Amino acid sequence: MKGLVMAAAGNGAQVHLTSQTRIVAAVIALFFMLLILDLIRRDRLQERYSVIWFVAGLGMLAGAAFPGLLELVADAMGVRNTNVALFSIVLLLLLGLALNFSVIMSRQAAQITRLAQERAIEKALADKQAAEGRNGGSAGEQTLEPEEKRF
Amino acid sequence: MRTLVFIPAWNEAASVASVIADVREAIPGADILVVDDGSGDATAERAREAGALVASLPFNQGLGAALQTGYLYALRNGYDACAHLDADGQHPADEVARLLAEVTADRADLVIGSRYHEGAVAGSGDYKASFSRRIGISVFRFFLTLATRQRFTDTTSGMRAANRRVMSLFSQHYSPDFAEIESLQLAVRQGLRVEELPVRMLERAGGTSFLTPVRSAFFIFKGLVVLLVGQFRPRQAEAER
Repeated sequence: MKGLVMAAAGNGAQVHLTSQTRIVAAVIALFFMLLILDLIRRDRLQERYSVIWFVAGLGMLAGAAFPGLLELVADAMGVRNTNVALFSIVLLLLLGLALNFSVIMSRQAAQITRLAQERAIEKALADKQAAEGRNGGSAGEQTLEPEEKRF
Repeated sequence: MRTLVFIPAWNEAASVASVIADVREAIPGADILVVDDGSGDATAERAREAGALVASLPFNQGLGAALQTGYLYALRNGYDACAHLDADGQHPADEVARLLAEVTADRADLVIGSRYHEGAVAGSGDYKASFSRRIGISVFRFFLTLATRQRFTDTTSGMRAANRRVMSLFSQHYSPDFAEIESLQLAVRQGLRVEELPVRMLERAGGTSFLTPVRSAFFIFKGLVVLLVGQFRPRQAEAER
């Protein structure tokens, strides 16, 4: 069987997915989607970050169920071997996901920084007010006046 | 005219108090804020003992984030001018006062204290840069000058004075890792008046610079990428000027 496939490749025909691969892929895709559902159910994964994974799972399932789809894509890519096309697509998808996470991470890092800054400033202002309070009730207002004339 | 001098400090317990005392003597009218960037030592306590107000970041966020905290504080609390200097004692406060004078006289929006400006040479014989540092300095100088079409001699100087225009810009946009260089590019691109003033700086009192050759090569590479990307950021119309 394998020899036949290789020979076919040599003749310039397409290399197709075997039905065994398709079954394995479908099972993995189903498990994958169940895992995602479970993660959402247990609050381990937020819905907004799960959509992209769910779409990936569906894509995997579609590829396994309708091999013609994958061959169409392979043709469009000019790849003779459907398996290679599959690998390339998955690789690109993962690259996109990794980039997506970097973007999310950058945004969150910026948010964390701003949060830290806000907290530091608020605390400094509270300290300042406390110090002014210690210097007597009206001192807080008096400090502003000489400051305006300074420098 | 209300003035804030802020001092970003990360594990500078040994020198922060003397820097505060120096600032208080040289710039008597200014309020002093120490931005403690998640120090593990007694930096915040020493600064409070020395009579400065302390804004403590809950964890180390990098120099850029610490500086931005200072700009944000100055903007929120209505200061007309602000300045910052390093906490390690390299920056004499009387030089900071000169930078502030440029800003308060409205000759520039942002003034940078430069060790390498021609005028500085005479006074700063006591400042010597290491070899790898010198390479980095000249590379950044070249590319920043190219990017901004304005001559800069000391791109990494942490001694600066600024007015409210700069405060509002930097409190919005300030890169956390490549603060010094990118901020200059940003300010020029936004149409602000950026000026360098020759200043005298001192050799660092204790500790060595963090730059090893490999690290400085990486630092330079990263800086160039940051500058390149910065060239593609949207340029704001010369809004308020």
